[in-house]
Amino acid sequence: MWLPLIGLVVGLALGFLLDWRVPQEYSSYLSIALLAGLDTIFGGIRAFLERTFNVRLFLSGFVSNTLFAAGLAFIGGFLGIDLYLAAIVAFGVRLFNNLAVIRRIVLSRWINQQE
Amino acid sequence: MLQKSRKITFILAIISAIIGLMLAVQVRSNLNPVPSESRTIAELRTALQKELEKHKNLLADISKYNQLYYQYETALSEDESLSVMKEELARNRKMAGMVAVEGNGIVLRIVDAPRHLQQAEDGHAAPLVTGSYVDDEDLRWLINILFANGAQAISVNGHRIVSTTAIRNVGDVIQIDTRTIQPPYELKVLGEPEVLLSALKLEGVEEYFHLANKQVLAEKRENLIIPANQEQRTIRYMKPVKEKGDS
Repeated sequence: MWLPLIGLVVGLALGFLLDWRVPQEYSSYLSIALLAGLDTIFGGIRAFLERTFNVRLFLSGFVSNTLFAAGLAFIGGFLGIDLYLAAIVAFGVRLFNNLAVIRRIVLSRWINQQE
Repeated sequence: MLQKSRKITFILAIISAIIGLMLAVQVRSNLNPVPSESRTIAELRTALQKELEKHKNLLADISKYNQLYYQYETALSEDESLSVMKEELARNRKMAGMVAVEGNGIVLRIVDAPRHLQQAEDGHAAPLVTGSYVDDEDLRWLINILFANGAQAISVNGHRIVSTTAIRNVGDVIQIDTRTIQPPYELKVLGEPEVLLSALKLEGVEEYFHLANKQVLAEKRENLIIPANQEQRTIRYMKPVKEKGDS
């Protein structure tokens, strides 16, 4: 259970140590990818709480979401369509949706435990 | 089953590591962001216009101050030429006898010769019906000798001799320009005293005046003051001739 947290810390440390800088014009793609990744993570947590968690689904969702989000935003930049806005809206909505579901599940479980 | 869950946590760890990496990079990129431009093109255009105008104004300022600087420079050099002109004017005024001057020189007094000397030399007969007074020609001759031997300025009884000074007899008295002078005559001469004295001796001034029963007393003086010419002189009948190349 602690391994993912350790992995998160290691990733953060690595990122700060490597001191990568994303150029200004690609910054939005990274942010889209990050948003997609976060959405996948919360989706995974929700699925875990709902006991429908599937590792393959999770893994493929993570990879494809981040790549497609960034890629679509990139293509949108080429076409002059602000696709990254759509991605932000979609992933943002889903993120908050997942968060709400997680909150409800945790809350109902806590109430169940209380009773 | 245990293996599977370990595998899952492992995968989750990798994924969270990737997420962490992305987070870190994103945070790093946004921590010291290049100050992003939030203004529109139109705003930027007006700002650019404003700055260009400011630039133009500053350039105008620069040229203005440069011009001012140039003016000051030329004024400075004109000032110099002004001082040169003033010097030249002062020199000319000195030469023309319009200012009092001071320097080394001699004082000549033409006085009556003592009686006994005259008696001793001439006996009783010679004196002195004819040459008993000094006339204008004597004075002109004397002054001419002095000028010829380097006198810079001469005054006779306080009247400055200048280039247009006339010395003439009017009745029994000598008149210099418009003023009469009375004996004893006193000439103040600026110049090299030795040269002037030896010139007097060489020209036989003493003997000449002796014939008129006069004695010339010469005396060296330092800081001899010669007054300025008092005459009112107006310039008439003459104009400077403009030469070519004269500005």
